[in-house]
Amino acid sequence: MTTNGPRGYRPGLVDLATGQISREIFVNDDIYAEEQERVFARSWLFVGHESQIPNPGDFFVSRMGEESVILCRDRAGAVHVFLNSCRHRGMKVCRYDDGNTTVFTCPYHGWSYGTDGALVGVPYFREAYHSALDKARWGLVEVAQMCAYKGTVWANWDAAAPPFLEYLGEFRRFLDLILDGWDGREGQAELLGGVQKWLIPCNWKFPAENFSGDSYHNISHRSVDLVGVGPSGKSRRDYGELDVARKLHVAIPDRGHQTITYVLPSGHQPQPAYQNSPEVAEYFRHCEEERRRRPGANSRLIGAPGEIFPNLALLPRQPRTLAVWHPKGAHQTEVWRFFFVDRDAPAAVKNFLRDYYIRYSGPAGMTEQDDMENWNYAHAASRGVIARRYPYTYEMGLGHAVENYEWEGLLLPGRVVDLTAAQASEEPMRNLYRRWAEFMEADSWDELMTWRRNAPREAVAAK
Amino acid sequence: MSDDRLARVLLTHEVAEFLYAEAELLDERHYDEWLALLADDIRYWMPMRRNVKYGEAAREFTREQADIAWFDEGKETLTRRVRQIQTGIHWAEEPQSRIAHFVSNVQLIEATPSVADAQEVAAKCRFLVYRNRVETETDLLIGKREDTLRRSGNGWLVARRKIILDQNVLMSKNLTFFF
Amino acid sequence: MSGPINIRDLAVGARVVLGSGAEAEIVSNPNDGVWLFARYLASPRDPALVGQEDMIFAQDVVEVRP
Ligand code: FES
Ligand SMILES: [Fe+2]
Repeated sequence: MTTNGPRGYRPGLVDLATGQISREIFVNDDIYAEEQERVFARSWLFVGHESQIPNPGDFFVSRMGEESVILCRDRAGAVHVFLNSCRHRGMKVCRYDDGNTTVFTCPYHGWSYGTDGALVGVPYFREAYHSALDKARWGLVEVAQMCAYKGTVWANWDAAAPPFLEYLGEFRRFLDLILDGWDGREGQAELLGGVQKWLIPCNWKFPAENFSGDSYHNISHRSVDLVGVGPSGKSRRDYGELDVARKLHVAIPDRGHQTITYVLPSGHQPQPAYQNSPEVAEYFRHCEEERRRRPGANSRLIGAPGEIFPNLALLPRQPRTLAVWHPKGAHQTEVWRFFFVDRDAPAAVKNFLRDYYIRYSGPAGMTEQDDMENWNYAHAASRGVIARRYPYTYEMGLGHAVENYEWEGLLLPGRVVDLTAAQASEEPMRNLYRRWAEFMEADSWDELMTWRRNAPREAVAAK
Repeated sequence: MSDDRLARVLLTHEVAEFLYAEAELLDERHYDEWLALLADDIRYWMPMRRNVKYGEAAREFTREQADIAWFDEGKETLTRRVRQIQTGIHWAEEPQSRIAHFVSNVQLIEATPSVADAQEVAAKCRFLVYRNRVETETDLLIGKREDTLRRSGNGWLVARRKIILDQNVLMSKNLTFFF
Repeated sequence: MSGPINIRDLAVGARVVLGSGAEAEIVSNPNDGVWLFARYLASPRDPALVGQEDMIFAQDVVEVRP
């Protein structure tokens, strides 16, 4: 694994044997430019949620890395993701955030595209082009692959990439934790209206590695622990059951996805929670009981921050959010945060959660505010030529992961570190940067699909 | 000047003076005194804004008490925000930012039951919040405010504040301060 | 002749006169101010167009029939 690749990312910049990673990968503009090609143009990226475009002609303008894309449902009901750039001179064909339309008309010279991407209107087509322009060749650029999974929409610019679910691999269960209902029913997540979008002056990998499972930085949230923001008015969260759970880092090698998760002992009974509001408490008590009745591994898992490679963070527990860390130059990130509730939850529950979410997360979130300060100044203080000479250490817990993990009959595949006593490890970050380095070195997806060579069993299981 | 016109001038002036004094407390970091100016049932709301097609103005703002917002607060959470700053270890405000609030274009929209005997006042204004922190980090946030003030003894309490920020993607990394 | 016409909010069924002298009835309006979907009612220069549907470019519209 740690051969010196042609570009020297391993072990030169990403040294997994000693757990040292150069600051260059965060602050170097050339590496950033290469990353756009090698990581973002080849990875599955989160684009949006189908509930944002329920009707034909509905669109939601999203981003894939630095680029603006249009997620839309065409007149026939099919979902598409297009590059938001006119084929004539590149003008953004849609500068609204969302809406409903029959065509995307370019403001510059008036080319007009159908919701299926086809170029339908060209001013003076007969007169100026003498009807010679081959309109079929000049439709909106569409992503090479798209996948809708339990309402979420993902896209990839690389036709050679594996299908989304294979890309996700064994991490699927953790994405399910946020997209399924609290009671365990499939795909019950409903997106709340309004996507928070804001800028952070740091490289996108600072938040990506933090959400990969930085359980070491709890101390930075001391102020909010002291004043309380949790649903019961205490602390930051509201999980009595965590006292009896095993806390784990789960990293899916060869995929670059990783998370914190909690595993409940078998036969665990629901604990009272959200006591501030009887209606909310009752809803969650009911859901927790239902969840435990459902067979399957997820009934014993409690979600916690995780990251799907490269830039999608999930928080399946409360606040239940997906966040996308859109790169915007090496030194800036544009965050898009999406908030979810159970579709069938009573209005009081949705309201209660919405209040909690925005008190916790986002730019006004009492917890997340301190994260942004740390990422901002960690980045700024790493840019100097002297600072760049000194790598960061990621050696915490090196050599303490186990391959696959079992507790009271629950088996978790992947590389797992038990944090119940250890509190923290840097296994998830090593997993993230191992995958990142593989992307930076590999010339094609063939090289990146190591699992197809190493473990045919796993490839079959992911289907 | 007729009596009711004069009453209107006086009330507008009184409202503006109150808003300036409130801004002064924030800028001088007298947060406990600022909290004392907020009604116990205050609603403090800052929606997000979308780019929408002309004619779809109703969709421009996220909906109150239904959608996500930048802020949607009551007195309890505003108090917690103050307490967080006062821990001295809220790193996003430690060291504390240098903040200046400008309030202008104060307009009296409504007074109940009457201008001469106003117990509740709806007022609009423009705000400009300047934040500078650590060394050179600077934010400029500009927008409109719609306030409802309620008479309390000799003074006023803020009973409702709607904050309309003139930005789409928030250009600040966080919102650790008040509007 | 009047100045430029804003076609953005023209109703379906409205009739427009084009620079070519043709006349067309709006079938649908994407409300983008640039295009109309319309059916030719008359076309002195190219009678074969009559009855056909076409996208009409805003700059070609010279008049809206009252
Ligand atoms: S750039 Fe779009 S029509 Fe010319
Ligand atoms: Fe954090």
